[in-house]
Amino acid sequence: MEMFTQQMINALIIGSFYALIALGYSMVYGIIKLLNFAHGDLYMVGAFVGFAVLSLFGGGTGLLGVVVAFFAALLFGGLLGIGIERVAYRPLLSSPRLTILITAVGVSLVLENGVMKSFGPSFKVYPVQLPTEGFQIFGATLTYAQILIILLSVLLMTALHLFVTRSLYGKAMRAISIDHAATSLMGIPVTRIISLTFFIGSSLAAASGMMAGMYYGQISFMMGFIVGLKAFTAAVIGGIGSIPGAMLGGLVLGLLESFGTVWLGSEWKDVFAFSILILILVLKPTGLLGENVTERM
Amino acid sequence: MKSWQKLGLALTLSSALLSACSPEAVNNSSGGGSGEILIGVQTPTTGSSAKMGEDMNNAIKMATEEINEKGGIDGKKIKLEFADDACDPQTATAAANKLVSQGVKAVIGFYCSGATLPSSGIYHNAGVPVMVTAASSAKIPAQGYKEVFLTTATTDQQSEAAAEYMLKTLGGKRVAIVHDNTAFAKGLAETTQTAVQKQGGQVVAFEAINPEEKDFTAMLTQLKAQKPDATFWTAYYAAGGLLIKQFEQLGVSGAIGVGDGSNDKTLIEIAGKEAAEDAFVITSPTAEFIPEAKSFIDTYKSKFNMEPGPYTAVSYDGMRLLADAIKRAGSDDKAAIVKALSETKSFKTFGGDVSFKSDGTLEKSNFIVLKVKNGQFTRE
Repeated sequence: MEMFTQQMINALIIGSFYALIALGYSMVYGIIKLLNFAHGDLYMVGAFVGFAVLSLFGGGTGLLGVVVAFFAALLFGGLLGIGIERVAYRPLLSSPRLTILITAVGVSLVLENGVMKSFGPSFKVYPVQLPTEGFQIFGATLTYAQILIILLSVLLMTALHLFVTRSLYGKAMRAISIDHAATSLMGIPVTRIISLTFFIGSSLAAASGMMAGMYYGQISFMMGFIVGLKAFTAAVIGGIGSIPGAMLGGLVLGLLESFGTVWLGSEWKDVFAFSILILILVLKPTGLLGENVTERM
Repeated sequence: MKSWQKLGLALTLSSALLSACSPEAVNNSSGGGSGEILIGVQTPTTGSSAKMGEDMNNAIKMATEEINEKGGIDGKKIKLEFADDACDPQTATAAANKLVSQGVKAVIGFYCSGATLPSSGIYHNAGVPVMVTAASSAKIPAQGYKEVFLTTATTDQQSEAAAEYMLKTLGGKRVAIVHDNTAFAKGLAETTQTAVQKQGGQVVAFEAINPEEKDFTAMLTQLKAQKPDATFWTAYYAAGGLLIKQFEQLGVSGAIGVGDGSNDKTLIEIAGKEAAEDAFVITSPTAEFIPEAKSFIDTYKSKFNMEPGPYTAVSYDGMRLLADAIKRAGSDDKAAIVKALSETKSFKTFGGDVSFKSDGTLEKSNFIVLKVKNGQFTRE
């Protein structure tokens, strides 16, 4: 029981990070059918922006510094997302999907090596780290930082869900994902909405990068690679293009990894998780929540 | 795999051909009084181990300058030629071929075992003496190349030291071992498992993690259920720091310690001072823990304006030993240098007197145990 609870908590934390990044993957895919492989690197850039801002504040960073750094990461990540879309993807929107996919890989390499050159290749220790104090629940350890991470993720995801389903901009996004041309004929500024989508997706990734930096305490220019791959997997499990699907997919992948470790050992957890992924896709190619086409955005 | 081997063979052959032509010229010119002895340095200066490579290069440069200032070896100056292996097997092969084709008389350096293994074969084929001053996988001497010498004790010897510390000094019985699936760390984990069992302990968990990830809590929760007396991490400091932090956060029983790949102050920074308290490190003697190395540290600091890293003292000593062997060989003939190296008897270094066994490893292991106290490594 103790073990089970602890593994559920572990899964929830990993899953929250996966879900936050998966959202951006899913949104971008939904709106321009692009697998944005640079998305994981925006998570990394977010972590480094937070690092730079916190370092600027120096040793005695209080809550204010953390909040400023968080919003700096959010904003910078979002603007970088817009910039990438404007420079690298928009000129290619009408070319074959493969061209733009390769461009995304290129953007990913540019970001990784750019950060490596500006911050150096070695691992960086985050100047401010979340405390590791916590309490016991059913014999398992739950820290305050973990509660904060889960709450913040739920908050961001709920806000996004409401924005997409309730607001006029959200409606425009969903319209574009259904029919590009028709939406533009209705007088909706399609390119602006696409920019907005990139802004939201990228800022979510950057925010979670900053959260990961503070929670785990160690960052490097390659940190976005594996996480990006896993988040992409989460988006596919949940049904790529679907926002609730991305959230569910993140949690499912977190659970699969944790319980893969329990049942088969840590060396086999990825084998286990990805075998289940293949199984899900064979049985339900659209992913868990992917069939509801009208809900796509 | 097959085609890779063929490529390697082709590269080796072509480099052997190249080296067959070019060094003659060097030889002839060095016959005169103005000769130089070209020595290659292979270390990682890019990639995740770049800092270690820079440290080693600095120490080797420092030793070389001192030797040259004292008139070099029998009037000949040592000239260094640097090659970056990026801690990557393929880059290492290219680096080795480059150095061999430039006609080096010996090579020194080598931080990552994964990069050392493929390149040592190239040097072996070209007959170049190899002085390994950091990499320590037991697989390196196991290749049986007579040109290869290691001035750090091997993973076998490190495993013995680790098992002894965990079972005898800490009085533990149940040992958990964690590695990251790299050649070096997995090898050390396996030999430690054998050593623990041989010394009467019980290995209750043998786990691997992916160092590119940051969350090891699922594995650690499994570990906690096994109630280990001591947990030993065999890989590098970046993931090691995270492991220690999460180990303490989950409240896993017993002590946690790391091998010499994690001997870096950043380990304590990443883990956090509180979590790292009492963690142990099994390591080759680093300069700061050797009383005789005080003047070395001072010179190094004033020259390079930074702290000497964990492998500077061994690299500095390695270069001195190599120069000594070339002097004893009486020429810069590669086979003669190899012979002189194998005949090394009680050469004085910071870590103790160096003599080599027939497989090129140290006769006497020189591992020490450090413990984290108040955020600092202190000698046990």
